[in-house]
Amino acid sequence: MSSRHTPRFGYRARFTLTCYALLAVQMSLLVVFVYVPVFWAFSKSFFEFEVGSESRFVGFANYAELLFRDPTTLPSLLHMLFLTAFAVCVRLTVPLVVAKLIHSLSREKGRYLFRILFLVPVVVPGVAVQLIWYGMIYNDRGMLNELLRTAGFEQCVRGWLSDPSTALVAVAFVGFPWVGGFEVLIYYAGLSSIPESVTEAALLEGCTGVQKFFRIDIPMVMSQLKLILILTIIAGVQSFEGLFILTKGGPGFKTMVPGLWMYFNAFSFQRMGYACAIGVCLFFIILGLTVLNMRYFKSTAELEGRG
Amino acid sequence: MTPTMASWGTYVRRVSLAVIVAVGAWLLWPRAGGEFVTGMPEHRDNGADARFVIKFVPGQQYMPGTTPFGLGEPLKGMAEVVRDFEARFPDTRVELITVPGVREYLVTQLSSGNAPDILMVNVEDVWVDVQKGWYVPLDPYLEAPNPFVREQGDPSLPGYEQWWDMFKYQAISRGKAAPDNRNYCISFDMVETGIFYNKDIFREVGIEPPATWDDWLESMAKLKAAGYIPLLMNRDSFNDWTVDLVFDQLYHDILPGIDLVQDPVREAYLEGYLDGDELCFLFEQGFFTEKDPRYGELWKHLHDLRQYCNQNLMGTDLAREFVTQKAAMLWMSTQFTYRLTGDRQLAFDWGVFYVPRFTARTSRFASNTDMCVIGGAGTQYEVSNSACSDTGDPATSERLKRVIALLQFLMVPENYVRVVNEYPSMLPNVAGVPVLPAIQPFADILERRYTTTKWVYTFDLKFNDIQARMLELYLNDGIGHEEFMRWQVDNVHAATRNLRLRKPIDMVRLETRWAELAPLRAGREGLPHE
Repeated sequence: MSSRHTPRFGYRARFTLTCYALLAVQMSLLVVFVYVPVFWAFSKSFFEFEVGSESRFVGFANYAELLFRDPTTLPSLLHMLFLTAFAVCVRLTVPLVVAKLIHSLSREKGRYLFRILFLVPVVVPGVAVQLIWYGMIYNDRGMLNELLRTAGFEQCVRGWLSDPSTALVAVAFVGFPWVGGFEVLIYYAGLSSIPESVTEAALLEGCTGVQKFFRIDIPMVMSQLKLILILTIIAGVQSFEGLFILTKGGPGFKTMVPGLWMYFNAFSFQRMGYACAIGVCLFFIILGLTVLNMRYFKSTAELEGRG
Repeated sequence: MTPTMASWGTYVRRVSLAVIVAVGAWLLWPRAGGEFVTGMPEHRDNGADARFVIKFVPGQQYMPGTTPFGLGEPLKGMAEVVRDFEARFPDTRVELITVPGVREYLVTQLSSGNAPDILMVNVEDVWVDVQKGWYVPLDPYLEAPNPFVREQGDPSLPGYEQWWDMFKYQAISRGKAAPDNRNYCISFDMVETGIFYNKDIFREVGIEPPATWDDWLESMAKLKAAGYIPLLMNRDSFNDWTVDLVFDQLYHDILPGIDLVQDPVREAYLEGYLDGDELCFLFEQGFFTEKDPRYGELWKHLHDLRQYCNQNLMGTDLAREFVTQKAAMLWMSTQFTYRLTGDRQLAFDWGVFYVPRFTARTSRFASNTDMCVIGGAGTQYEVSNSACSDTGDPATSERLKRVIALLQFLMVPENYVRVVNEYPSMLPNVAGVPVLPAIQPFADILERRYTTTKWVYTFDLKFNDIQARMLELYLNDGIGHEEFMRWQVDNVHAATRNLRLRKPIDMVRLETRWAELAPLRAGREGLPHE
């Protein structure tokens, strides 16, 4: 008996050990390149130091400055919330509608073609997209201003990114019409996975068109909506590169966000400790929003009572 | 479809794809460069076995192979001089490179000891880092003979006794000493700003280059009424040049009573200059706050000027508006001259004048003196700690000596003229090298006295950033004057506090001097406390 089972047990043990060994390699890389820097940032947030200089322990002084004395903190957070909320609104709606329209096409060839066409923009790097909007659309002699001039609305021509009254909205509109291929594909996959039986039952009950979209399709793609929501929130809180290219947080601090302020403090002002404190706060904001999301935003499985 | 036809179709598709990929790769293959753009590698004999490989950032204005403003022939002067240097020193190879012009790059490279050996940075940006040992003080070399002049055997030549003697603008070059009184840069050339104006538009509107600030504003009102953009400027010109010029006009009269420290090293150039220590002390006396009417007025003058400027202060292509005659004036530095002289399709006559002075009509604090200058040293070369990487000690480093030799070789007039006077852009700073006629007006402007202070180079980078941001917002009516003043006073307060944390300031000495100068302030109006 034992002689029959020993080799099998040995194989399992070897297999398990191999898995652990391979995992250990990955884990050690993760520790070195992610966890150590994160813990280093946590610890350095209690110090004041410049690159190349001695650091000085200041306790919670960086946090106190960030939360109570820095006049940019509150506006930055509000801008971040506005841009994140705006991004959530458009990414949860527009790509879903597009995915539904593609999914509703009768011919598979048509669906395939449109999926490809909507996916192509994904290969354009985000930095290139920002530069296109900066140089070709919002520029003084860019597409938007030239269209306004041509249409006779000269008085509406402006520096869209430098005018305090338009800068934040102009930043939010980058990426218009927001039919990013990534989201479209995810929603399309969700819509494709709705069982035929559900669709047929809905038809028998007379649930068609818009009613079906809201009562059947949306609840059935809740998992996808939840995923996009979490990813959009994380990207919104962490984002800074787009604003760095477009406005550098200006005019004034009209488009400043915490991520960008962290970057400026770290690399322009050399206030590394303060930048670490901003990073730690951003970490807790993301953590809090993700926990809220997990708790209150139900996925399809949870709605079906399987979660 | 038969199998043969199908395989033919597959074959054609694959060949087409391969052709497209090959043509695309050929079209996109870089003709020159990457980050490291060398001078004329085809002429270089000193190969990979070179003992010293010197990385040198000459700046875009001298980078071989580039065509400034896309006009004329590609530059080659620097490459030729470097080739001659390499011929003199066969064990040395010089790589001329471009690097990102951002502080983030420099900080990371310098802290890791990987920065290029010779950098081009405004030396004021270096001062905050000199205590970290990232830069090599150049005084011992500047005070010694230039060996390439010495070998010519003529004691009357500048540079025979001291390298310092070769610099044409002595006061400016020596005035670049850091607060620790050491020199960390070679002021390779000079630059100045001026107002480029379209003479045809001026004639059409019936105006002349102005003699006073008020005349200037009136002329700009006429230009605006005629449908032209009167003046092209960007945010940084406002934040740097205009602030310093207007500050000087409003404070010049009271300078004798508030200039507390005379710097023996830099006074010849920076006469009456207010340095960081003085600004800290004056702030404590109520200057640069709401109690200081001059300081409040400064920003209002900028706001008045702004109404005649281009709509977008962050616009990046001001030159286009000027050369297409949509705008009548452009405030720019010397380099722009080549954009105009080199453009054979330019359809108008142009000239240069300098910013006109304030009069009693402009302000009750006007000093009625000519506007000072805010230019000076242009290309400034610093030697980084990478240069002495062989021993880690500047005193014993052979590599550092070779790096210094390259700079000394560049400054020899027959080499220098090939670089700086290759096209009209920068003013020469080597004695005996002529100024090209096209930029002579800027050499004349540079003869004026220097500004009272440089706000953006006195405090830390955060101060500069916040001032620039809030000034832009104020100029674009995003905030009112009072709110702007609150931000600015808080900003000066934070900057003076940080400066005092960085270095001890002898406030007792300043207090004593302040008391001694009280008679010179007596009767002056608009002082914060007196």
